[in-house]
Order: sequence, then structure tokens, then C-alpha cells
Amino acid sequence: MNINTGKTIRLSDFIHPKDKRCLMVDTTITSTLGAITGLEDFGTVLKSINELVDGIIINPGQLEHQAEQLGGKRRATPIVRVDWTNAYRHNDFCLPVSNVKRLMISNGDDAFQLGASAVIASLLLGFNDEFEANNIKELSLLARECHPISMPVIIDIRPIGPKVSLGNFSESIKLGVSFMLELGADALIIPTCDSETYQTIARWISVPVLLRLNEFPPESNMKQMFDAGVAGIVLAEDIFAVSDYAQKIENLKTIIHQ
Amino acid sequence: MSVSAGKSVRLNRLFNPKDGKAVCVAADHGWMSDPTANVMELESILHKVVQGGADGILISFGTALRLGHIIQGKNSPAMLIRADWMNLPRLGGANVSNILPVVNFKKMATSFAKDALLVGASAITIYYFIGYNDEFETINIEQSAMFARECRKIGLPLIIEPMAIGGMVSGVNIAEILIASARIAVEIGADALKIPYTGDVKTFKLLVDQSRVPVLVLGGAKSDVPRDALELVDEALQAGASGTVFGRNVTKATDPQKMVADLCALVHENKSLDEIFGETSKSGYRLKAIPENCTGCQLCEIVCTQFHEKNYGIKSARIKIHAKGSEPAFKPSVCTLCGKCVNACEPGALTIGDKGYLVLDKSRCNGCAHCMVACPFGVITMNAETNTPIFCDLCLGDPQCVKWCKRDALTLVKRKENDVANKLGNEN
Repeated sequence: MNINTGKTIRLSDFIHPKDKRCLMVDTTITSTLGAITGLEDFGTVLKSINELVDGIIINPGQLEHQAEQLGGKRRATPIVRVDWTNAYRHNDFCLPVSNVKRLMISNGDDAFQLGASAVIASLLLGFNDEFEANNIKELSLLARECHPISMPVIIDIRPIGPKVSLGNFSESIKLGVSFMLELGADALIIPTCDSETYQTIARWISVPVLLRLNEFPPESNMKQMFDAGVAGIVLAEDIFAVSDYAQKIENLKTIIHQ
Repeated sequence: MSVSAGKSVRLNRLFNPKDGKAVCVAADHGWMSDPTANVMELESILHKVVQGGADGILISFGTALRLGHIIQGKNSPAMLIRADWMNLPRLGGANVSNILPVVNFKKMATSFAKDALLVGASAITIYYFIGYNDEFETINIEQSAMFARECRKIGLPLIIEPMAIGGMVSGVNIAEILIASARIAVEIGADALKIPYTGDVKTFKLLVDQSRVPVLVLGGAKSDVPRDALELVDEALQAGASGTVFGRNVTKATDPQKMVADLCALVHENKSLDEIFGETSKSGYRLKAIPENCTGCQLCEIVCTQFHEKNYGIKSARIKIHAKGSEPAFKPSVCTLCGKCVNACEPGALTIGDKGYLVLDKSRCNGCAHCMVACPFGVITMNAETNTPIFCDLCLGDPQCVKWCKRDALTLVKRKENDVANKLGNEN
């Protein structure tokens, strides 16, 4: 892989250069749903996990407010989410979604200004053709815009649309991975899938692949994940609803970086 | 807290550094609705607002060029610029007259943040409409994000004003939507919020706690009784609000200077409403719902209909019981005598009478249903036969719902009451 020095250095802010592994948390669903359980007081949550995770995926507004807590040795590296979608508003939300929308809320320059080490955006797969085309267009603009400023681009592959079923879930992930490699992503996040799929993906691509987990994984599964070539784990927002999430994150950190 | 020096310094200009609170006056109505007296006499009104001691004044870019000189000087109010435009007041059903009604709800970004900085502003304010439809909310998010990026770049605070408006909003979910939208606005980049009151101290406290930025409660429609307008602020302050942005309740007040001074007394001097208005102030009683006690038995709806219509149906009940989500929880929606229906009634048919409850002068009612649309709790319906509103009249001073509710989910409280202990969590 031939990425520039700036990107290499920034990626190493959260993917440890020695073991090439990382542990991240995603806190950004709050831009769609408001404060979900466990993330009501963001500052306190951040304080409790700040030295346990390598990176934190955070919305631009929240990063601005929490800037004093972030960055620097031993603390979580901020990764800015530059897009927004209402796709996660289900029927239990006070405003269930009728038409799925997605748009960019930040960009590489803005992320630099905020002190982030990378930007992250989602590839939402399985919605209508126009939606997919717009998504690809915006992500490719992001990749091209971030290249000259050496800002790593992480793409979060989310096959969640109505066209995705159990039957084509793994293949949809592979399709997304293929698109995003062609686009120039510097790291990818894929959802939990069968080990064969991420083994295939890990063998195929040279950029780091991180696994998005909606709950804490059993310790017994960890070795299998990393043996399959996964570079790290992204814990989704739901984990903050667990009362001892900080302890569990600390345990994960030990396992991942041991 | 934001680390941008520019933002910090400018926010300190708005929020009094001693108590972290602010009294602001919104004077941007001429930008979006008809040129009423408060718009045409803005210059003299702004002089009075300054004399009253306001901490901030929200005006449009053009007004800043024309009247910005009024707020010169270190001790003058901070200038806030309205950086967008919308046509909501002209959609009809609101509490203003309407020269050219519109059909489609529109909102446009009209100034750059940089423009506001050039005219000496300390912040910009923009709307975030949620609840109309997904497309419209997306436009609002996009514009908010655009302003957030620009404001970050130039160190100008961004005040976002979430407004739960549209067919997806009801009395049942409005508090929940406002709480969610406040946090969403912060995630996008708001440095402070200007937001309507959720209707009770408990939910507004949740909104404030989850936002973690200064929250200014807005005054909303012009209230006939100044004390009622300030009661809302009093409750918001109990919930942790950092102050208020009052618009028509100041600019349309008989004495704008006194109104601002009263607000300052409440916000900055911690004076009680009784101290401000005097103990003898009397404004009757109103219903108060205690959702935690409600079992959803609907007896209140039945007795309401029986008293007024002499039948046992609940369709024309003046109180509504809503099931909340999947949990077995219920929320009674009752008339709180907020006065929004009265303000929306252009012919002046609906008023709060001497005895402290709503009365209708049928000879003046034109059946426009604006009162029904304006009611934030959905407790006004229209009588299809008479084409007049069906509204709560407190059973002429002896509310049957309160009398019959065996679980004390409904009570009658003095409208002037400001007893914190009784109010916490007990509002409708």
C-alpha cells in the first residue's frame, strides 16, 4: 500500500504501530437519536474510557465541546464522523423514519481544524439506486478531498437497507469493501459476519479492517477474530447501556494489545 | 466547554460571566412575518429593551446595519444575528395576521456567519425544524452543519433553535422530540440552544442535562398576562436553563423596558414571581396532570363528556389520555391555560374570562379552527355541527375530571403558583 506519511502517522494515532491493532468506540448515533441510554452525560462517559480505547468516533459538535479531554498520549484519539443519517430511527424512536436520508455534515478541513486524526463516513447499502449513487459520490469526494491534506478516511460499511437479507448479507459486505477499496479508503469497518467472510476480506485487502460489534464479544471469540485478520474492534453505542462497560472495555484492551 | 478563544469571549459577552445566564430579546419578526406594530416601531422598542438591561438582542442582518448603533458600547446587549429565514408564520394557524399566506414550508440560509462577524455580532442563531418530514429535517441538518463548520473556522458561537413543528409532532411526543433534537443540535455543533419549553420541569431538566451547553428557553406566543409568560421562564430556570430569549412577549408588551427588567430580576437577581408581581396577583386556577399516577382508566374523559355533552362517549372530551410507547404508561393531556388558542383567535372570540377559564363568544367565532391548530396539547377539537371549538372550560370552575380521578393524576393548581416542590415532575 502506498499512502503518504501524514496518513501513516495519523493512522498510527489509533492503530498501534507495534501490534497493528486497535480498540475504538463509536458514540455518534446521538446525532440521529439524541442521548441514548448510557450516553446522556457524554463528558463523564469520555472520562471513564478515555485511557482505555485507542480511538473514539465522535460527532464534530461534541468533539468541539470535549476537545480538552481528547488527544495526546494515552488518551483516545478523536475520529470525526463527517456524515449524518436518519436510517437508525426505528419505530421505537419518537419520530420514526419514513424516507431514509443521508448527508455530509463535516469534511477533511473541518476535521483538521478540530484536531481529528481521521474522518469516518458510512456506506449505507441496500437502499434505492439513487441513494446508493449519491452515497458513493459523496464518499468519493471525501476521499479525494482528504488525500492532499493527508487525512485518513475510514469507511463504515453498513448493509442495512431493505434490499439486504440474510442470504446476501456477507456478499453485500464484500461488495461494499470492493467499492471502498476502489474509492481509496484508508481503513474499513465491517459489521459482524461469519469468520469466512472476514478471512476472505482480510486476505484480499491491505488496508486495516475493523469489526463493528453491537455488544461485548465473549473472550473466547477474540482470538478467532484476530487470527482471521481483523485489525481491531469498534464497539457500537449500545455497549454504553451496560453498567460495567468501562471494566469490560479495559478487559478487551488487555486482550487486544497483549 | 468550547476551547475556541473567539467563541468563549463572544459567549461571555452574551452570558453574564458572573452567573452564566442571559436575558435576550428576539426582534427578528419582521424578517419572517407581517409588519405588525412591533416590527414598524422596532427602533423605539429596541431603545427600551436596552434600557431594560437585556444581555442580547436577536436581529436580522439588515436590522443590524440599520439599527446596530443602538447596541454600541461595552454594557450594551450582545448582538445576535438571525442567519436564516423561514415562512412558518405565514403557513396559517399561527398567532399573527397573514398578508400573503403560503402553502409550502420553506427555510433558507440567508447570511454567512462571516457576515454576522462583520456587523459586530456575538453569535448567530438558526432554526432546526424537526417533525415536519424527513426531507425538511435533512435540509435543516445540512444547513446547521454548514453554519457549524463556518462558525468553528471564525470563532463565532452558533445558537441552534430546535423547533418541533409538523404533522409528526403531537402533545404526546413533543417533549421527547425536543429533548432528542437538543442533543442532536449539540452533536452537530451548537454552542448554545434556544428552545421552546417542554411543558414541565422534569422533561426540561432532562433536556438541559443531556445537552450540556447553555439552554435559553424561548417565550413563544404573546401571553395576555405577563406573569404567565414569566412563569414559564421561572420553571425553565428551576430545570437548569441559562436564561431566556423573549420575542413578542417583550416587543409587543405595553412596557417593553419593564418586561425586560422583570426578566432580568427573575434570571439574574433570583427574584420570585411574587416579589416581581406582588403577592396579590390573581390569575385563577388551571389543571395539572401527574402522568405517573395515571392508570389510563379514561374515567376523566367520560365524566368530561358527560358533564358537557350529557352522553358517555369520549370523542368530545376536553381531556385526552394517551398511551406512551410500548410500556404500560399513560399521559393525560389537559388544557394548561397557556393562552396560545386565545392568541390564535383573530376575531377575539376565545378569551380567558374573569373567572380564570376559557370562554367563547359564539357571535364572534368564525369557525377558522386556528385555536385547535395552535393548541400544543391537542385538547381543542371542532364541533362539526356548530363549527365552534370544543375546549376545556374547567367545567365552569369545578372540573369533574379532578373530582373523579381516584388516583390523583389530575389536580387543580393556582396559575400563579411557583412552589418548586409541587411542580417537579408534575406538569402536563
